[in-house]
Amino acid sequence: MFRALKQKWNRKHLTDERFSFLFDPVHEDEIIVFDCETTGLNPKVDKIISIGAVKIKGNKILTNEAIHIFVKQETQISHESITIHQIRHCDLDGAIDSQEAIEKFLYYIGSRKLVGYYLEFDVAMINKYTKKMFGITLPNKQEEVSAIYYDKKIATIPQGNIDLRFDTILEDLELPKLQTHDALNDAVMTAMMYLKLTQMKSFKIIRR
Amino acid sequence: MIALFDNLKTHLPFSFLDNEYLKLIENNAQIAYYPKDTLLIDENVIPSTFFVIIKGIVEAKNMEELIDIYQNDDVFAGIELIKNKPSKYRYSVYEELICYEIPRDVFLELCQKNVEFKNYFFSSIVERITMLKERKESAKMADMMLTRVDNSILHTACIVDHDMPIIDAITKMEDNNSVVLIVKNASGYGIVTDANMRKYILYREEKNLTKISQIQTYPIISIPEGELLFNVLLLMTGHSIKHLPVLNEKEEVIGLLELIDLLSHFANQSHIIHVQIEKASDISSVIAASKRIDSMINTLHLKGVKSRYIAKLVSEMHKKMYAKLFKLIFPKEWHDNCTLILLGSEGRGEQILKTDQDNGLIFKEGFEPKDQDRITIKFTETLDEIGFPRCKGNVMLINPKWAKNTQAYKDDIRRWISSPTNKDLIDMSIFFDTFAVAGNIALFTELRDFLMAQIRDHQIFLPHFARAIESFDSPLGLFSRFVTGDEGHKDEIDIKKGALFALIHGVRALSLEHGIYKTNTTERIKALNDIGYMNKEDASDLLEALEVINTMRLHSQLEKREKGITIDNYISLKSLSKLERDIFKEALKTVEAFKKRVSYHFRLSMVS
Repeated sequence: MFRALKQKWNRKHLTDERFSFLFDPVHEDEIIVFDCETTGLNPKVDKIISIGAVKIKGNKILTNEAIHIFVKQETQISHESITIHQIRHCDLDGAIDSQEAIEKFLYYIGSRKLVGYYLEFDVAMINKYTKKMFGITLPNKQEEVSAIYYDKKIATIPQGNIDLRFDTILEDLELPKLQTHDALNDAVMTAMMYLKLTQMKSFKIIRR
Repeated sequence: MIALFDNLKTHLPFSFLDNEYLKLIENNAQIAYYPKDTLLIDENVIPSTFFVIIKGIVEAKNMEELIDIYQNDDVFAGIELIKNKPSKYRYSVYEELICYEIPRDVFLELCQKNVEFKNYFFSSIVERITMLKERKESAKMADMMLTRVDNSILHTACIVDHDMPIIDAITKMEDNNSVVLIVKNASGYGIVTDANMRKYILYREEKNLTKISQIQTYPIISIPEGELLFNVLLLMTGHSIKHLPVLNEKEEVIGLLELIDLLSHFANQSHIIHVQIEKASDISSVIAASKRIDSMINTLHLKGVKSRYIAKLVSEMHKKMYAKLFKLIFPKEWHDNCTLILLGSEGRGEQILKTDQDNGLIFKEGFEPKDQDRITIKFTETLDEIGFPRCKGNVMLINPKWAKNTQAYKDDIRRWISSPTNKDLIDMSIFFDTFAVAGNIALFTELRDFLMAQIRDHQIFLPHFARAIESFDSPLGLFSRFVTGDEGHKDEIDIKKGALFALIHGVRALSLEHGIYKTNTTERIKALNDIGYMNKEDASDLLEALEVINTMRLHSQLEKREKGITIDNYISLKSLSKLERDIFKEALKTVEAFKKRVSYHFRLSMVS
């Protein structure tokens, strides 16, 4: 009930009718998995550097339709952030400005459900831009991968301390680890986690 | 770029594609997840995509018969797509699967534009092996192991005529700033080094030395142009020489190869170990140097050097080591009165990693060794310290059975051949592989000749000897499936029992019959080819199979040693790629065919 109310409130504030499709009935066939690389960990002050996203349809990751958007930076990227993401200024040569980037992302996701690892943060980052540009926050349904993992895991080891680090989950699920860390590769790995967590028949305990 | 796709291009057949087509794959492939038991392609259905396994295992079955297994980086459904024919098998997920799916049209386009890529799917196993080898060879072109001698690393040789006065020759040498002189004789070349010069200075008056040919070392050890540097290294370390003339087709010296230059090309420690063993004046330095052999093996294996070359190099080193230990441990009065022999795998020069102490002593008749126990125990304990495990079959010189005089050995040989028990046949096999490494070698040749003469007189013995090849079944069952599952070794194959033993023993029996003195299996096969028993094709098939089996065994043993697991002869099928498994199967088939041939040759079906 609250969700409907909130959604209505959100819809009212939409200032650009081109994006009304975001409020369409949920596109049930497909899911979006995405990840952002940012200049820091504070959504209030930090900015998006790149967004990687893939669709999942049934048991497949549609890597052929994946997008990897790089956002033009007005200010210099801090040294700290360069070392984490390994995105240097020169890597942003094909970058587009933030208005275009966010619009492209919104067209891509439509009214599909969003999935991610520590999704709350990525959504908050996107919301900061959509609020300013179109008056709304992302109305899409959201699902947190580490929460699915936690639920499956806690059933097998009650009261256990569950390690929710990205690499730990990946290892526990015996998924291939990609050496490169960028928004798109992280999105693909998260998509594999999601597929395995939702499709596997039983959950084996591999580590405690 | 998704990093997963990067991995693709390192594998066949994708390594045939250039970036444009890899991009095409990236733009069209999807990643799919399938839980265990999902049916991917049913019988009589044309697949709609081409599959590349990222992780997991897929089985192809015909009814309930398992036809094939596909694992990480393997591909399937290619032939069906190209031929547009329904699949003959059911492909289903055996262990949960993550894979790429490349749509049919895109796959067909790749095939149409890239002939090599397409041909890969129609190539036989043999062709695939060749492709893999070529790819490896080209990748390692820069590798010194495969580099051949050419002019670039040669020094100009200072050549003088044989009748040149010594002083003139030395002056010419000084002018040319050469370290050695090559002497041109009426036939062949000689060499003059510092050592010859020393002798000249000492004896010139006494022996009235005037011409250069009087002080030369003749004939010279040389190599033809184009020889593999690796073989050159073996030759130089084997003969302890530092300068080696290189000859062209017309047998003319085109230059000198210096050991120092050769070594700077090899980043491994082989020579250093050699020198350390050679120079060692006490037992502890021999031990220290010998312990380094293992790390050298690792380096060579990683560089992709064929296991038979590694074995050759290691056995050269072991021989030097034994010879040195003999000198250091055995009393002087023993030296002419006994021979130190290596038996079994060590005698064949096929022991790469230290697996066994296989050795013995032959004493001259009438020689009474003093302190025999103390000395042989000392020798054995030294080998313990170097890291050779003791022989389980007790084939060691601390066992009086393997340390006795020639007469006692002859009695053994007579008994082995006239009324052999199973134990005798094993002893005979071990003894026939003997290599005499130090001491009075004549004692051993006497025994060997005696053995061969006995065999010639008792041909009826041979089938009994050969029969052991039938002791173990092949690990290849019906329809070329692997048969595994010894207790505690699920999905593993004992490669020694399953293949290596039959191959080595079959070759051994044939060599015994044909009076071949060589002990190394590779050399025995070559000798069987030379005397005309085996044609070139069969011989090279057999050599290839031996190489495959030994490489896989070495690889798995090195891995086990790394992990600290006891080294055994088991090979895990799960750790092999599809191509490796197919190559392995081919090798096993070759061994099976050889077993049949030997069995027929000795009419084994008539021996009971």
